[in-house]
Amino acid sequence: MNRKAYASTVALVFPAFIFLALSFSTSCSSSSSSTPKGTESIAMTSGSGQRAPINVAFGAPLVATVTTGTTPVSGATVTFTAPTTGASGTFAGGANTATTNASGVATSAVFTPNGTTGGYTVTATVSGVTTGVNFLLTNTTALVTSSNYSFYLSGLENANDGPNFYALAGSVSIDLNGVVVSGEQDYNDAYGFTSPEPSGDIIVGGSLRVDPTTGQGTLTVVTNNLSLGYTGTETIGVQFVNASHGLIMQFDNSATSSGSIDLQTLPSTLSGGYAFTLSGVDVDYDSTVFGGVFSITGTTLQNGMVDVDDAGEVSLGQTFTGTASAPDSFGRGTIIPAAGTGPGLNLPATINYYIVGPEALRIIDVDPQDSAIGSAYGQGGAAFSDASLGSSVFGLQGNSWSFLYAAAGQFTVPAGGTFQGVGDVDEEGSSTSAQAISGTYSIASNGYGSLTIVEGLEDVSVLGIYATDPTLNLSDPNNQTSGLGGALVVDLDENILGTGMVIPQTDSSTASFTGNYAFGGQAFFDSNGGCEIKANAGKPHDNGCGEFSEFDFIGQGSVTGGALTGVGLINDPDYYFDGDVLNTGATFSGTAVPDGVNPGRYTIPLVIAPVDGFPVTFPTTIYQADGGQLLWVDVNNYDDEDLFLGSLQQQGSLTEVPAIKKPATQSKTPQKH
Amino acid sequence: MTDRFERLCALGVLCFITLYPSLQAQTTAPASKTAGPYSYHASQEVTLSGTVSGVLATPAAGMIMGSHLLLATASGPVDASLGRFALLGKGALTVAAGQPIAVTGVMKTLKTKQVFLVRTVKAGGAVYAIRNEHGFAISPQARQRASQRAAQKSESL
Repeated sequence: MNRKAYASTVALVFPAFIFLALSFSTSCSSSSSSTPKGTESIAMTSGSGQRAPINVAFGAPLVATVTTGTTPVSGATVTFTAPTTGASGTFAGGANTATTNASGVATSAVFTPNGTTGGYTVTATVSGVTTGVNFLLTNTTALVTSSNYSFYLSGLENANDGPNFYALAGSVSIDLNGVVVSGEQDYNDAYGFTSPEPSGDIIVGGSLRVDPTTGQGTLTVVTNNLSLGYTGTETIGVQFVNASHGLIMQFDNSATSSGSIDLQTLPSTLSGGYAFTLSGVDVDYDSTVFGGVFSITGTTLQNGMVDVDDAGEVSLGQTFTGTASAPDSFGRGTIIPAAGTGPGLNLPATINYYIVGPEALRIIDVDPQDSAIGSAYGQGGAAFSDASLGSSVFGLQGNSWSFLYAAAGQFTVPAGGTFQGVGDVDEEGSSTSAQAISGTYSIASNGYGSLTIVEGLEDVSVLGIYATDPTLNLSDPNNQTSGLGGALVVDLDENILGTGMVIPQTDSSTASFTGNYAFGGQAFFDSNGGCEIKANAGKPHDNGCGEFSEFDFIGQGSVTGGALTGVGLINDPDYYFDGDVLNTGATFSGTAVPDGVNPGRYTIPLVIAPVDGFPVTFPTTIYQADGGQLLWVDVNNYDDEDLFLGSLQQQGSLTEVPAIKKPATQSKTPQKH
Repeated sequence: MTDRFERLCALGVLCFITLYPSLQAQTTAPASKTAGPYSYHASQEVTLSGTVSGVLATPAAGMIMGSHLLLATASGPVDASLGRFALLGKGALTVAAGQPIAVTGVMKTLKTKQVFLVRTVKAGGAVYAIRNEHGFAISPQARQRASQRAAQKSESL
């Protein structure tokens, strides 16, 4: 090889060698780490925007995600840096770093505000990345005035290609300024919108605004589940009955529903017997109801008996056991039922509960393929018998996905095991009013029983009845002085199903039906007038022609001499009133006329007039348990296709309602709502 | 006297033994009830053939809730109730006026009018399930779940 040839060879080979060496080096570097320097990034995932009282932990951790492009980086150390002065906080155990998991997610330790109020930023950084992400947090005033409330509701969901059945239960901490401090909830439409389990949704903020005179307002709940409400924010209409109890409805365009909210008192542990009902949809998306009894000792659930009506397939007295986890700080826990002896159990696989008090739980099926919601009430310590049931009023209703009906009535018990009285029922437009009813019932010592309406109430006939603590108010579990006792009921007929309650009738005098009342109702309907398909004959009709068959209302007013005048909220997704979907300032009026034959029963032509839309008169029957609690049922004898069931509850003091009662330091300042 | 007493006692015991099962049954079995207007018994099902004269997505005055087909049959016009969901969503019933169909269900008297509660509709070579065997209306979501299950079943075969 001559020098020229050698030089040419060197000139070609040496650069190639250098190139290969560099390439090899780069390759080795790449293979030794999946995160090339300079392309790594960090993003805020959740936890920003939270508010918490000073010295009380935030409800949710700070969560950041580290990626290289779209690839998660695992094993990276994320450092969370809080301000060193002023409003700030500390991480549990002083641990201000977190390591990313396989998904690239780093979750901070519990972060607790210091003693200074105000907003500030916690910055999350990762080594090698110059730009961090900021979590905006706020330390609010001390929690001395904050209270937890449990809430639940169910109805029809408009979101997620609705209408779908949906249920929502949760617990929310609200301070006296009406600031939603934190909370948890479970949402389930069994159609893709099911809160992640076991965490549920985290409530990171919101506000309660209430008119101090009427107790009416809205509760805005900001969640970390962006699918729900309006990008994660749910608006709930509230009508406080007293400071510890209110009627609620979802009051936004994502859904409409009815339920209640109650002050929460956490017991040290759950124990004793409970009666329960659940109403919802099964894995086939057919309507279903459950009713029964069980007992809890520590985390052990036992002595369970349940009746089920699953779209007409009825099974009675299935036995079950199970486990109940201890509640968290929001009174939220999980019940896992297990089959007892006999056939396989037909209960939801996982039920979450939210405690109202030691003898009242809101329970929600959180399985992704089925959904149901209801309550479990304590049974007290005494054994039950047929004598446990006396003169009573009752109300029953199908859920928004079932055969649509509502029924109410009252009865006396002339002899143990038999009853007679009067009732009203509307079954999808076929109604009966003031019908004599009679039948038999039987209640075992554990409160599990059956009740058969032999005649008078159309298809409503075969009921399960589950006795509750005679010292417990089922509508207002914090009320320990009036409206006490009763039972839960489940309609177990083969062609219709529903749930309801029985309330002792202790005062049927018209003189007691007076004063201020909170009221509400869940209405089902079909659009009127025959929406005839002509031009598009042969095609499924689109939305706006009777698909959405529910509206809900809550309100407040006074009753004087039987005359009701009130104002309230209506959520009307299918334009029943031919006006706005969300109505505030709707008026409610009518005069209740006592039934001369059946004391405690009234008829009232209830006129509901939205501000935008047409007024509608609902031929309504009222059944009075006492002056504090009355049920009302819309039984339409005309051609209008509507029905509702609801209640009127006498109002107590509202001064302790959050957002009405102000902290002492602020009470001198007029507040706007 | 004693003899008569013994015979009365024997008769009482005999009566008790004879009646005991029925007495026991009364305390354990629910009382019999009258059938409600919407009660649905598959044993009473009939099939009607006719021509669609109208499709009502929502009821006309005096009808029960839900969608309805107006049918012209050999025995006269029939109001066929489809319930709340039959015309909604994927897999909804598609029929048009003038189309011959066959409906299977139970004839009932509701609000003093006769109405045919439809369980299935056979139209255009397809069979649509409208209600289940207990009379519960089948929703679009329920139809979807059923078709998903059928697809999974066929895949596993």
